[in-house]
Amino acid sequence: MSAELIQSFVPMLLRGLRVTMQIAVTGILLGFVLGSLSGYALQSKNKVARTIANVYVWIIRGTPIVVQALYVYFVVPALITLVRGSRYTMASTLAGTIVITLNAGAFISSIVKGALESIDIGQKEAGRALGLTETQILWHIVIPPAFKSMIPALFNQFIISVKDTALLSMISVNEITRQTQNYVSRTYNTIPAYTICALFYLLLLSILMVLQKVVESRIQKS
Amino acid sequence: MTDGVLLESVHLKKSFDDLEVLRDINVKVQSGEVVCIIGPSGSGKSTFLRCINQLETPTGGQVLYKGQDMCEKGADIRAFREKVGMVFQRFNLFPMKTVLANVTMAPVLTKHKSREEAEELGMELLRKVGLESKAKAKPAMLSGGQQQRVAIARALAMEPEALLFDEPTSALDPELVGEVLNVMRDLARDGMTMVVVTHEMAFARDVADRVIFMADGYIVEQGTPEEVFGNPREERTRAFLSRFREG
Repeated sequence: MSAELIQSFVPMLLRGLRVTMQIAVTGILLGFVLGSLSGYALQSKNKVARTIANVYVWIIRGTPIVVQALYVYFVVPALITLVRGSRYTMASTLAGTIVITLNAGAFISSIVKGALESIDIGQKEAGRALGLTETQILWHIVIPPAFKSMIPALFNQFIISVKDTALLSMISVNEITRQTQNYVSRTYNTIPAYTICALFYLLLLSILMVLQKVVESRIQKS
Repeated sequence: MTDGVLLESVHLKKSFDDLEVLRDINVKVQSGEVVCIIGPSGSGKSTFLRCINQLETPTGGQVLYKGQDMCEKGADIRAFREKVGMVFQRFNLFPMKTVLANVTMAPVLTKHKSREEAEELGMELLRKVGLESKAKAKPAMLSGGQQQRVAIARALAMEPEALLFDEPTSALDPELVGEVLNVMRDLARDGMTMVVVTHEMAFARDVADRVIFMADGYIVEQGTPEEVFGNPREERTRAFLSRFREG
């Protein structure tokens, strides 16, 4: 039994790992772009931009990820089908990436807002007094320290996003959890398969946590 | 055009909601002149300075730079700020940049100087304020007095025609005040036009061409240091100065 387990389950897990990491990394990168725009809007004086960003964060925070995933995977294609008049389906991986991106983006926008607001007004005034434009102040004075202060929280969000991908098993994205389910439904090896799955996540996330500690101590030194 | 008047405020007013901070400020600053503004806390001194370079938008009146109103819509405030620099009470250096990068950033960005050119000027200015050896250090490694001297060099790097000093020594430990005031003395001697809000009465007496005493958003009196310190006309001025003599 154990030889069979290793031979067929471990490759499945590794394929799942690739999907998990692909979605998590793409999600955090696109989520960072989205979250930066939304976070900037949240603390801007532009009321329209602020309202849009607030509604976005509100919807994401106010609904479970699983429901978001079901919505993006089933409802959005159905709506597009209705509008286009021809059938449209969405790859589950694409739907999953969208959901992780939207989630990471919403939480990152709070991080970005906080970081932008944490920059001492005096430094912006110094920039103004030197004749810099508001755009130059943003890029050269506000963003460098704001980004530095955000890195620990961003890494944290990345770890959360990695774990969130497990929920995408609901829409048959072949990430680690789904691969385990596939294996169990074929072999009924319930106890070892889910135990290995849990340990595999624990190992993966432990590595990320160690990496997080290293990055944080690097930042503190610089 | 006016004879050598670089900066002028005309009936300048500033309110924050219902609070009137500046009621009617009329000041002319000649090119090369050193004007010190003294007065109790809350008298509007700092607000006046911040209204000059439009960090605060005045509620009424004019700020004239070489006769041009900077409060007018469409005035090129950015270009004006290149010409009239500011030194802040809390230094406001950029913490992630080195001392030299603090000094060279604005000339490179706004005047499109080459890096080499800006760094050459930057080093010369750091030499001037006695901090050549700290060029590669980060601001957090410097004392308050050193940080303020860097902030002065940073303002000078724009090659301004005038400098505004907003209580430049108020955030410093007493033993660090002197080094900053000495740099300012040198600047005054070199002919820099300066408007200095300060509580350093000895500095104002020695360096200022003119002293302005402000209270409650008004200019109570102004004159040469001899007039204001030696023979103040107004009771408010006498009461304020007497507190300094005791202390």
